[in-house]
Amino acid sequence: MNNLCVDIGYRSINHFGEELCGDHIDVVEREDDTSVVVLADGLGSGVKASILSTLTSKIISTMVAAGLSIEDCVETIAATLPVCSVRGLAYSTFTVIRILENDKAEIIQYDNPHVILLRNGKNYDYHITEMSIDNKRIYKSYIQLQENDIFIAMSDGCPHAGIGATYNFGWKREEIVGFMETFSLVGYTAKTLSTILIDEVNKLYGNKPGDDATACTIRIRKREPMNLLLGPPYNRDDCDRMMSLFFSKEGKHIVCGGTTSSIAANYLGKKLVPSLEFVDKDVPPIAHIDGVDLVTEGVITINKALAYAKDYLADNGSFQNWGFKRDGASLICRLLFEEATDINFYVGRAINPAHQNPDLPINIHIKMNLVKELSECLKEMGKRIKVSYF
Amino acid sequence: MKVTVCIGSSCHLKGSRQVVEELQYLISESNLKDRIELSGTFCMGNCQNGVCVTVNEQLFSVQPSSAKGFFEREILARA
Repeated sequence: MNNLCVDIGYRSINHFGEELCGDHIDVVEREDDTSVVVLADGLGSGVKASILSTLTSKIISTMVAAGLSIEDCVETIAATLPVCSVRGLAYSTFTVIRILENDKAEIIQYDNPHVILLRNGKNYDYHITEMSIDNKRIYKSYIQLQENDIFIAMSDGCPHAGIGATYNFGWKREEIVGFMETFSLVGYTAKTLSTILIDEVNKLYGNKPGDDATACTIRIRKREPMNLLLGPPYNRDDCDRMMSLFFSKEGKHIVCGGTTSSIAANYLGKKLVPSLEFVDKDVPPIAHIDGVDLVTEGVITINKALAYAKDYLADNGSFQNWGFKRDGASLICRLLFEEATDINFYVGRAINPAHQNPDLPINIHIKMNLVKELSECLKEMGKRIKVSYF
Repeated sequence: MKVTVCIGSSCHLKGSRQVVEELQYLISESNLKDRIELSGTFCMGNCQNGVCVTVNEQLFSVQPSSAKGFFEREILARA
């Protein structure tokens, strides 16, 4: 056992004019720290390719996660895939990355661009063994993992970007490596790295992709705990208990809410200093307390962070906002999405009498729902979440 | 003189940002920056009458539309 964990994120763009993507990614994460990621690229584009790649990735991820050999997987796929009536072929390429106990990686590649491994910000050429199964040339590798290793799997839509237009022969793998090396040490999430790569691919295609393109990034990182306090406890007498539990936890501390931050400042015996800088017109200013990593307003800020979280899980379009801005919501997002892997929520259920005004769009139910929705989003990002109510 | 504007959730929704920006503008326009300390605070517990503003501990209720009049009446007159 080690204290590493995986951060998996991917994004696709569709062939111009197609509703469906012909690439498919399937991720299986098991309790015993084993993760299997399969990227499959179906023949052609549109619905046919989508069916082929979905079947392929689903079959392989299920079989590999159950511990079956790659030979069995390939045989099963060959026997199962429907044959294309136009081309007389049943075909889908695939890349399998299996992470074992967050310690070793096994990579199996068939006809996709080779997986890129960035180690310490530089390309790392890992050892590859060639084997032949059913006359298919399949490459296999075993890699001992290190912290901050970044694996990037792609479909051929990425190196084909810009063929005949921006580049004569597309965007070469070495050039993609060079491009991604620049971003590898910044601390971006796997999803953001995939987004950066796919956005560039889309740009090279002139926003009219000539093929489905998919990037899937796996980051090996240290577990990072984070604690977020929101709302005063239902019972006033629980304040000290709530604060001592919160502040005794390892990791960074975020305090949300006006009254809540006064209670925290009081508990710590420090001054609460609100700032008057309106960085974003929708988000109230943040404040400072010595010993707390971030102090923000409550419901409005969390609501904004939730909107960013939903967007992140969709196409990550507002990364340009939360990734750089200095308002409370963006700061929370960077801490929760990028830095944290294990998040503890400390939620107080006190009813703020001022919020019970029917003119105001905030009340206690909304607060409870926000916490619920936000923790579900974060779970979907692969974080471990614990919520305690007071 | 110390002027404090509430930037809590409730007052934020009632327009505390506009009030702060208006006051910042008016204070610098009347060259009172070194005599007036403008700061923010979280909830003052008087949300029904937001936006809450205190001038030397005395509580006022200000709307973005009334900020200019408030400044002339309560701040400029005393400065």
